[in-house]
Amino acid sequence: MTLLPWLVAGWLLFVGCYGVVTSRHYVHLIGCLSVMQSSTYVLLLAIGFRWGAGPPIFYTHPPGTPAVDPVVQALVLTDIVVGATVTALLLALALQAHKKTGTLDPEAMRPMQR
Amino acid sequence: MTHRLRLAGLVVSLAILACALFRIALSMPQFGRHPFPYGQAINRLAPAQRHVSNMVSAVTFDYRGFDTLGEEFMLVGAVSGAAILLRGFRGEQPTARPVQIPGRPVPPPSDAVMLIARLIGPLMMLFGLDVVLHATVTPGGGFQGGAVIASGTLLLWIGEGYRGWRSIVRTWWLDVVEGGGALGFALSGLIPLCFGGGFMENMLPYGKFRDMLSGGLMQIENASVALAVAAGFVLLFLEFLEETRAPEDDQQ
Repeated sequence: MTLLPWLVAGWLLFVGCYGVVTSRHYVHLIGCLSVMQSSTYVLLLAIGFRWGAGPPIFYTHPPGTPAVDPVVQALVLTDIVVGATVTALLLALALQAHKKTGTLDPEAMRPMQR
Repeated sequence: MTHRLRLAGLVVSLAILACALFRIALSMPQFGRHPFPYGQAINRLAPAQRHVSNMVSAVTFDYRGFDTLGEEFMLVGAVSGAAILLRGFRGEQPTARPVQIPGRPVPPPSDAVMLIARLIGPLMMLFGLDVVLHATVTPGGGFQGGAVIASGTLLLWIGEGYRGWRSIVRTWWLDVVEGGGALGFALSGLIPLCFGGGFMENMLPYGKFRDMLSGGLMQIENASVALAVAAGFVLLFLEFLEETRAPEDDQQ
Protein backbone atom coordinates (compact mmCIF):
# COMPACT_ATOMS: atom_id res chain seq x y z
CA MET A 1 0.00 0.00 0.00
CA THR A 2 2.75 2.47 0.87
CA LEU A 3 4.53 1.62 -2.39
CA LEU A 4 1.46 2.12 -4.58
CA PRO A 5 1.74 5.93 -5.29
CA TRP A 6 5.39 5.69 -6.33
CA LEU A 7 4.66 2.68 -8.55
CA VAL A 8 1.70 4.49 -10.18
CA ALA A 9 3.97 7.45 -10.95
CA GLY A 10 6.61 5.13 -12.44
CA TRP A 11 3.99 3.23 -14.45
CA LEU A 12 2.62 6.46 -15.96
CA LEU A 13 6.18 7.47 -16.91
CA PHE A 14 6.84 4.08 -18.57
CA VAL A 15 3.52 3.96 -20.45
CA GLY A 16 4.08 7.48 -21.76
CA CYS A 17 7.66 6.65 -22.76
CA TYR A 18 6.51 3.53 -24.62
CA GLY A 19 3.96 5.66 -26.46
CA VAL A 20 6.57 8.27 -27.40
CA VAL A 21 9.00 5.69 -28.76
CA THR A 22 6.46 3.67 -30.78
CA SER A 23 4.38 6.66 -31.91
CA ARG A 24 3.52 6.99 -35.60
CA HIS A 25 1.78 10.36 -35.34
CA TYR A 26 2.99 13.62 -33.78
CA VAL A 27 -0.34 14.50 -32.14
CA HIS A 28 -0.35 11.06 -30.51
CA LEU A 29 3.26 11.65 -29.43
CA ILE A 30 2.34 14.96 -27.78
CA GLY A 31 -0.49 13.19 -25.92
CA CYS A 32 2.00 10.58 -24.68
CA LEU A 33 4.30 13.36 -23.51
CA SER A 34 1.39 14.73 -21.44
CA VAL A 35 0.94 11.26 -19.89
CA MET A 36 4.64 11.24 -18.94
CA GLN A 37 4.24 14.69 -17.44
CA SER A 38 1.23 13.64 -15.36
CA SER A 39 3.46 11.12 -13.57
CA THR A 40 5.14 14.10 -11.93
CA TYR A 41 1.75 15.31 -10.65
CA VAL A 42 1.08 11.92 -9.03
CA LEU A 43 4.57 11.87 -7.52
CA LEU A 44 4.37 15.42 -6.12
CA LEU A 45 0.85 15.08 -4.69
CA ALA A 46 1.77 11.71 -3.14
CA ILE A 47 4.80 13.29 -1.48
CA GLY A 48 2.63 16.02 0.06
CA PHE A 49 -0.13 13.66 1.22
CA ARG A 50 -0.70 12.98 4.89
CA TRP A 51 -3.21 10.61 6.49
CA GLY A 52 -6.04 12.35 8.35
CA ALA A 53 -5.11 15.84 7.14
CA GLY A 54 -7.41 18.30 5.40
CA PRO A 55 -6.76 20.70 2.52
CA PRO A 56 -4.25 23.51 3.20
CA ILE A 57 -7.05 26.07 3.13
CA PHE A 58 -8.10 27.33 6.55
CA TYR A 59 -11.47 28.79 5.68
CA THR A 60 -13.91 26.39 7.33
CA HIS A 61 -11.47 24.77 9.73
CA PRO A 62 -9.23 26.99 11.87
CA PRO A 63 -5.46 27.36 11.34
CA GLY A 64 -3.55 24.76 13.26
CA THR A 65 -5.62 21.75 12.16
CA PRO A 66 -3.55 19.16 10.25
CA ALA A 67 -3.27 19.95 6.55
CA VAL A 68 -1.39 18.45 3.60
CA ASP A 69 1.72 20.06 2.12
CA PRO A 70 0.82 23.30 0.22
CA VAL A 71 4.26 23.61 -1.44
CA VAL A 72 3.87 20.61 -3.75
CA GLN A 73 0.29 21.66 -4.56
CA ALA A 74 1.54 25.06 -5.70
CA LEU A 75 4.15 23.31 -7.86
CA VAL A 76 1.53 21.06 -9.50
CA LEU A 77 -0.81 24.00 -10.05
CA THR A 78 1.66 26.07 -12.04
CA ASP A 79 2.97 22.93 -13.75
CA ILE A 80 -0.48 22.12 -15.17
CA VAL A 81 -1.04 25.60 -16.63
CA VAL A 82 2.48 25.90 -18.07
CA GLY A 83 2.23 22.32 -19.37
CA ALA A 84 -0.97 23.16 -21.24
CA THR A 85 0.66 26.11 -23.03
CA VAL A 86 3.77 24.06 -23.85
CA THR A 87 1.48 21.40 -25.35
CA ALA A 88 -0.06 24.14 -27.49
CA LEU A 89 3.44 25.19 -28.62
CA LEU A 90 4.25 21.58 -29.60
CA LEU A 91 0.95 21.27 -31.48
CA ALA A 92 1.80 24.48 -33.37
CA LEU A 93 5.16 22.91 -34.31
CA ALA A 94 3.37 19.76 -35.49
CA LEU A 95 0.98 21.88 -37.55
CA GLN A 96 3.86 23.66 -39.31
CA ALA A 97 5.68 20.35 -39.87
CA HIS A 98 2.55 19.00 -41.53
CA LYS A 99 2.33 22.07 -43.76
CA LYS A 100 5.95 21.67 -44.86
CA THR A 101 6.19 17.91 -45.32
CA GLY A 102 2.57 16.81 -45.68
CA THR A 103 2.91 14.11 -43.05
CA LEU A 104 2.85 13.81 -39.28
CA ASP A 105 4.59 10.43 -39.11
CA PRO A 106 7.97 10.76 -37.34
CA GLU A 107 9.23 7.74 -39.33
CA ALA A 108 8.47 9.38 -42.64
CA MET A 109 10.03 12.68 -41.62
CA ARG A 110 13.80 12.82 -41.95
CA PRO A 111 14.98 16.00 -40.22
CA MET A 112 18.27 16.37 -42.08
CA GLN A 113 16.91 15.35 -45.48
CA ARG A 114 16.31 18.03 -48.04
CA MET B 1 17.10 2.17 -37.01
CA THR B 2 14.45 -0.48 -37.49
CA HIS B 3 11.27 -0.56 -35.47
CA ARG B 4 12.18 -3.83 -33.74
CA LEU B 5 15.65 -2.63 -32.75
CA ARG B 6 14.20 0.51 -31.26
CA LEU B 7 11.63 -1.47 -29.27
CA ALA B 8 14.42 -3.74 -27.92
CA GLY B 9 16.39 -0.66 -26.87
CA LEU B 10 13.32 0.72 -25.12
CA VAL B 11 12.71 -2.53 -23.22
CA VAL B 12 16.34 -2.73 -22.06
CA SER B 13 16.51 0.90 -20.93
CA LEU B 14 13.10 0.79 -19.23
CA ALA B 15 14.11 -2.40 -17.41
CA ILE B 16 17.25 -0.70 -16.06
CA LEU B 17 15.21 2.38 -15.09
CA ALA B 18 12.54 0.18 -13.45
CA CYS B 19 15.14 -1.47 -11.21
CA ALA B 20 16.45 1.93 -10.13
CA LEU B 21 12.94 3.32 -9.58
CA PHE B 22 11.89 0.28 -7.52
CA ARG B 23 14.99 0.64 -5.35
CA ILE B 24 14.15 4.34 -4.81
CA ALA B 25 10.47 3.57 -4.10
CA LEU B 26 11.55 1.09 -1.39
CA SER B 27 13.63 3.71 0.39
CA MET B 28 11.10 6.54 0.07
CA PRO B 29 9.64 7.83 3.35
CA GLN B 30 6.44 6.08 4.36
CA PHE B 31 3.46 7.32 2.33
CA GLY B 32 1.27 9.77 4.25
CA ARG B 33 3.16 9.54 7.55
CA HIS B 34 6.39 11.46 7.02
CA PRO B 35 6.97 15.08 8.12
CA PHE B 36 7.31 17.90 5.57
CA PRO B 37 8.95 20.75 7.51
CA TYR B 38 8.64 23.48 4.88
CA GLY B 39 4.93 22.91 4.24
CA GLN B 40 4.20 22.54 7.94
CA ALA B 41 6.00 25.80 8.69
CA ILE B 42 3.92 27.61 6.05
CA ASN B 43 0.68 26.05 7.36
CA ARG B 44 1.61 27.25 10.84
CA LEU B 45 2.93 30.74 10.03
CA ALA B 46 1.12 32.07 6.93
CA PRO B 47 -2.34 32.69 8.47
CA ALA B 48 -0.73 34.85 11.17
CA GLN B 49 1.99 36.45 9.00
CA ARG B 50 0.04 37.21 5.82
CA HIS B 51 -3.63 37.04 6.97
CA VAL B 52 -4.53 34.62 4.14
CA SER B 53 -6.42 31.34 4.46
CA ASN B 54 -5.35 29.71 1.16
CA MET B 55 -1.88 28.32 1.81
CA VAL B 56 -1.36 27.30 -1.83
CA SER B 57 -1.78 30.93 -2.92
CA ALA B 58 0.52 32.04 -0.11
CA VAL B 59 3.22 29.72 -1.48
CA THR B 60 2.60 30.63 -5.13
CA PHE B 61 2.45 34.39 -4.75
CA ASP B 62 4.39 35.18 -1.59
CA TYR B 63 6.79 32.64 -0.11
CA ARG B 64 7.87 31.22 -3.49
CA GLY B 65 6.73 34.20 -5.58
CA PHE B 66 10.11 34.36 -7.29
CA ASP B 67 9.60 30.84 -8.72
CA THR B 68 6.17 31.84 -9.96
CA LEU B 69 7.76 34.77 -11.80
CA GLY B 70 9.84 32.25 -13.75
CA GLU B 71 6.79 30.11 -14.47
CA GLU B 72 4.87 33.19 -15.59
CA PHE B 73 7.58 33.98 -18.14
CA MET B 74 7.65 30.33 -19.26
CA LEU B 75 3.93 30.67 -19.94
CA VAL B 76 4.38 33.91 -21.86
CA GLY B 77 7.30 32.35 -23.77
CA ALA B 78 5.30 29.27 -24.76
CA VAL B 79 2.29 31.35 -25.85
CA SER B 80 4.42 33.78 -27.88
CA GLY B 81 6.32 30.85 -29.41
CA ALA B 82 3.08 29.22 -30.55
CA ALA B 83 1.75 32.55 -31.85
CA ILE B 84 4.96 33.29 -33.77
CA LEU B 85 5.04 29.80 -35.29
CA LEU B 86 1.45 29.99 -36.44
CA ARG B 87 1.56 33.60 -37.62
CA GLY B 88 4.88 33.18 -39.41
CA PHE B 89 3.28 31.30 -42.30
CA ARG B 90 0.09 33.21 -42.79
CA GLY B 91 1.05 36.77 -41.87
CA GLU B 92 -0.29 38.92 -39.10
CA GLN B 93 -3.34 40.19 -40.97
CA PRO B 94 -6.34 38.74 -39.16
CA THR B 95 -9.63 38.33 -40.93
CA ALA B 96 -12.98 37.79 -39.32
CA ARG B 97 -14.13 35.78 -42.33
CA PRO B 98 -14.81 32.08 -41.64
CA VAL B 99 -13.53 29.48 -44.11
CA GLN B 100 -15.75 28.50 -46.98
CA ILE B 101 -14.99 25.18 -48.61
CA PRO B 102 -16.69 25.06 -52.04
CA GLY B 103 -19.63 22.70 -52.12
CA ARG B 104 -19.89 22.44 -48.36
CA PRO B 105 -22.33 24.92 -46.80
CA VAL B 106 -21.67 26.10 -43.22
CA PRO B 107 -24.81 25.36 -41.23
CA PRO B 108 -25.73 27.91 -38.56
CA PRO B 109 -25.47 26.56 -35.01
CA SER B 110 -28.67 24.98 -33.81
CA ASP B 111 -30.93 26.93 -31.45
CA ALA B 112 -30.33 24.47 -28.62
CA VAL B 113 -26.53 24.78 -28.88
CA MET B 114 -26.72 28.57 -29.07
CA LEU B 115 -29.07 28.75 -26.07
CA ILE B 116 -26.88 26.51 -23.91
CA ALA B 117 -23.68 28.30 -24.96
CA ARG B 118 -25.21 31.72 -24.29
CA LEU B 119 -26.47 30.60 -20.89
CA ILE B 120 -23.36 28.75 -19.73
CA GLY B 121 -20.61 30.84 -21.40
CA PRO B 122 -21.13 34.07 -19.43
CA LEU B 123 -21.85 32.10 -16.25
CA MET B 124 -18.58 30.23 -16.71
CA MET B 125 -16.63 33.48 -17.12
CA LEU B 126 -18.35 34.87 -14.03
CA PHE B 127 -17.35 31.73 -12.13
CA GLY B 128 -13.78 32.17 -13.37
CA LEU B 129 -13.80 35.75 -12.08
CA ASP B 130 -15.07 34.48 -8.72
CA VAL B 131 -12.24 31.91 -8.58
CA VAL B 132 -9.71 34.67 -9.39
CA LEU B 133 -11.03 37.15 -6.84
CA HIS B 134 -11.09 34.71 -3.93
CA ALA B 135 -7.53 33.50 -4.53
CA THR B 136 -6.29 34.20 -1.02
CA VAL B 137 -9.41 32.92 0.75
CA THR B 138 -10.83 29.76 -0.84
CA PRO B 139 -9.42 27.22 -3.35
CA GLY B 140 -8.54 28.90 -6.62
CA GLY B 141 -6.37 31.71 -7.91
CA GLY B 142 -5.18 33.44 -11.01
CA PHE B 143 -3.92 30.33 -12.79
CA GLN B 144 -7.12 28.30 -12.37
CA GLY B 145 -9.53 31.23 -12.77
CA GLY B 146 -7.74 32.47 -15.89
CA ALA B 147 -8.09 29.05 -17.51
CA VAL B 148 -11.81 28.96 -16.60
CA ILE B 149 -12.40 32.44 -18.10
CA ALA B 150 -10.61 31.44 -21.31
CA SER B 151 -12.71 28.26 -21.57
CA GLY B 152 -15.83 30.42 -21.24
CA THR B 153 -14.85 32.37 -24.37
CA LEU B 154 -14.57 29.05 -26.28
CA LEU B 155 -18.21 28.37 -25.41
CA LEU B 156 -19.06 31.71 -27.05
CA TRP B 157 -17.29 30.45 -30.19
CA ILE B 158 -19.43 27.29 -30.15
CA GLY B 159 -22.61 29.33 -29.71
CA GLU B 160 -21.97 32.36 -31.92
CA GLY B 161 -19.80 30.85 -34.63
CA TYR B 162 -16.44 32.12 -35.83
CA ARG B 163 -17.66 35.49 -37.09
CA GLY B 164 -19.43 36.39 -33.86
CA TRP B 165 -16.54 35.17 -31.77
CA ARG B 166 -14.01 37.23 -33.70
CA SER B 167 -16.08 40.37 -33.19
CA ILE B 168 -15.78 39.82 -29.41
CA VAL B 169 -12.16 38.66 -29.28
CA ARG B 170 -9.56 41.03 -30.73
CA THR B 171 -5.90 40.16 -31.23
CA TRP B 172 -4.11 43.41 -30.38
CA TRP B 173 -6.11 43.66 -27.19
CA LEU B 174 -5.10 40.12 -26.19
CA ASP B 175 -1.42 40.82 -26.92
CA VAL B 176 -1.53 43.85 -24.62
CA VAL B 177 -3.26 41.97 -21.78
CA GLU B 178 -0.95 38.96 -22.12
CA GLY B 179 2.20 41.06 -21.98
CA GLY B 180 0.71 43.43 -19.41
CA GLY B 181 0.01 40.56 -17.04
CA ALA B 182 3.64 39.43 -17.15
CA LEU B 183 4.80 43.03 -16.78
CA GLY B 184 2.51 43.52 -13.77
CA PHE B 185 4.00 40.48 -12.08
CA ALA B 186 7.55 41.66 -12.74
CA LEU B 187 6.72 45.17 -11.51
CA SER B 188 5.16 43.85 -8.32
CA GLY B 189 8.58 42.33 -7.66
CA LEU B 190 10.57 45.43 -8.66
CA ILE B 191 8.51 48.26 -7.14
CA PRO B 192 9.17 47.22 -3.49
CA LEU B 193 12.89 47.69 -4.31
CA CYS B 194 12.21 51.41 -4.92
CA PHE B 195 10.83 51.73 -1.41
CA GLY B 196 13.77 50.10 0.31
CA GLY B 197 12.30 46.60 0.55
CA GLY B 198 13.50 43.30 -0.84
CA PHE B 199 12.50 41.87 -4.21
CA MET B 200 8.77 41.05 -4.08
CA GLU B 201 8.60 42.03 -0.42
CA ASN B 202 4.99 42.23 0.68
CA MET B 203 4.78 45.87 1.87
CA LEU B 204 1.06 46.48 1.32
CA PRO B 205 -1.42 46.18 4.21
CA TYR B 206 -2.39 42.53 4.68
CA GLY B 207 -6.08 43.10 5.34
CA LYS B 208 -8.37 40.94 7.46
CA PHE B 209 -8.10 37.13 7.72
CA ARG B 210 -10.75 35.34 5.55
CA ASP B 211 -11.45 38.58 3.69
CA MET B 212 -11.49 38.73 -0.13
CA LEU B 213 -8.94 41.59 -0.15
CA SER B 214 -6.45 40.00 2.26
CA GLY B 215 -2.86 39.26 1.28
CA GLY B 216 -1.50 42.67 0.27
CA LEU B 217 0.83 42.35 -2.71
CA MET B 218 -0.54 38.87 -3.45
CA GLN B 219 -3.70 40.49 -4.82
CA ILE B 220 -1.75 42.38 -7.49
CA GLU B 221 0.34 39.34 -8.45
CA ASN B 222 -2.79 37.19 -8.57
CA ALA B 223 -4.60 39.67 -10.82
CA SER B 224 -1.67 39.92 -13.23
CA VAL B 225 -1.35 36.12 -13.39
CA ALA B 226 -5.09 35.87 -14.10
CA LEU B 227 -4.80 38.42 -16.93
CA ALA B 228 -1.77 36.70 -18.46
CA VAL B 229 -3.26 33.19 -18.25
CA ALA B 230 -6.72 34.15 -19.56
CA ALA B 231 -5.31 36.24 -22.43
CA GLY B 232 -2.68 33.61 -23.21
CA PHE B 233 -5.20 30.80 -23.55
CA VAL B 234 -7.64 32.91 -25.61
CA LEU B 235 -4.70 33.94 -27.84
CA LEU B 236 -3.84 30.26 -28.37
CA PHE B 237 -7.47 29.40 -29.22
CA LEU B 238 -7.55 32.33 -31.64
CA GLU B 239 -4.30 31.37 -33.37
CA PHE B 240 -5.36 27.75 -33.79
CA LEU B 241 -8.81 28.75 -35.08
CA GLU B 242 -7.18 31.17 -37.54
CA GLU B 243 -5.37 28.13 -38.93
CA THR B 244 -8.66 26.84 -40.34
CA ARG B 245 -8.67 29.69 -42.91
CA ALA B 246 -8.05 28.80 -46.51
CA PRO B 247 -4.59 29.85 -47.85
CA GLU B 248 -6.07 32.17 -50.50
CA ASP B 249 -7.43 34.38 -47.70
CA ASP B 250 -3.89 35.38 -46.77
CA GLN B 251 -2.76 38.81 -47.79
CA GLN B 252 0.88 38.30 -48.58
